[in-house]
Amino acid sequence: MFKRLVLPLTVLTAVAVLGIVVSPTGASERHAFGKDLYIIGKPATISQPVDGSVQAYRANVTVSNVISGDLLVLGGAVNFEGAGRVDGNLIYAASRVTNADNRVRGHIYPLASLEGAAASMTKNAIVASLLLVWLIAAIIVTLMSGREVRLSSVEVRTSALHCFVLGLVAFTSFVLSAIAFSYLVPYIVGVPLLAALAVFAILTKVYGMVAIFHAAGTLVAGSRNRQQLASRKWLRGDLAMVVIGVLLLGAIRLIPVVGAIVWGLASIFAVGTALATKFGRREPWFLVWRPSEA
Amino acid sequence: MTPCDEYLENPDANAAHLETCESCRALAALALELDQEIEVQPRPLSLDALPLAPWEGASHRTWPLVAMGFAATLILAIVLFFAAGVSSLTGIANAVFSAIPPVQPVVRALQLTGRAIGLPVIAVLFIAINSILFFLLRRAPRGIDV
Repeated sequence: MFKRLVLPLTVLTAVAVLGIVVSPTGASERHAFGKDLYIIGKPATISQPVDGSVQAYRANVTVSNVISGDLLVLGGAVNFEGAGRVDGNLIYAASRVTNADNRVRGHIYPLASLEGAAASMTKNAIVASLLLVWLIAAIIVTLMSGREVRLSSVEVRTSALHCFVLGLVAFTSFVLSAIAFSYLVPYIVGVPLLAALAVFAILTKVYGMVAIFHAAGTLVAGSRNRQQLASRKWLRGDLAMVVIGVLLLGAIRLIPVVGAIVWGLASIFAVGTALATKFGRREPWFLVWRPSEA
Repeated sequence: MTPCDEYLENPDANAAHLETCESCRALAALALELDQEIEVQPRPLSLDALPLAPWEGASHRTWPLVAMGFAATLILAIVLFFAAGVSSLTGIANAVFSAIPPVQPVVRALQLTGRAIGLPVIAVLFIAINSILFFLLRRAPRGIDV
């Protein structure tokens, strides 16, 4: 009974924690913590000077006075008017910014630069370019460690649910660890910790995605028996399966909304399978302590 | 190897097995009645009857397929950028570099999120999630390959 509950409880915990992290304060109002101001889900006007930073989530914000810190906007719109200005940086994602010329002392960053680039170019062209990079990375990784990729691919096909749960928990852990390390940035030690976490997360994602490409390619175009394998000239081998997987998932990525969801799920599976197999090495992550025998 | 197999391999060393296994006892009685020794022959193995192992044919490298996939993706990117009125080479380079998130705003966003949630909550969640991760990582992989 307990074992049956472990998996759903783990998933629920990971999703709940991720939800808390993604939507800070969990409220739908306007809150002030210290000098910072948080606006969530409702339109607001900054008519009084704000001595700290302002964060707006799914909210339309009108800035008509001075924000001495940063302005972070995720989903919604920002409009500057009157004496409105930001002394720090303006960071935005999936948002519309108007009248910001010469009103931001720092930099104006799109949080996810892909959206920023998509404003001037078609999104599909960017996706195709990134697909090219994925293809090159997948070929290199498969040539370097084909056996490991195959082992991880086998794992995700035999224990898909475990890989998904592990990936979800690991992703939540990455985000939480990054937030925890960001507290240490002023003490210098946070910088190498954040850098190490970023490198590990990127390696995990890239390796895992190659394993997912292999798994997808094998599921779609893998040989079912020896006669079929012997009769094939092209569709055989790890490299072919990976290329088929990249092209297949790449084609899905070009579909609006569905593509992003599928790649998001694939990323969770990727992180899970990379960690479940210790990057295909199938070694235990932790040593088991055993008392020495007399 | 089952106890029955062990008995059939070496009846003298595993004589005690007859006390517990009725079928082996009947077989031994028959052998005694016919005055013949029990000869164990391995079951013939048909390789084609076995399922295809993941490593079979895995080292084969199909370079024409790789080249075709690469060319198709490259042409698609060039055509899409051309259609958008952007220089293909510049477009591809910009797209690749734009995928790298800017460090400073990401760190600032993390700091602001951390401040919004609060250090005690972050500490509790950090310990809880990493404990779950620790227990999940202890499970041995299931997939089999050679």
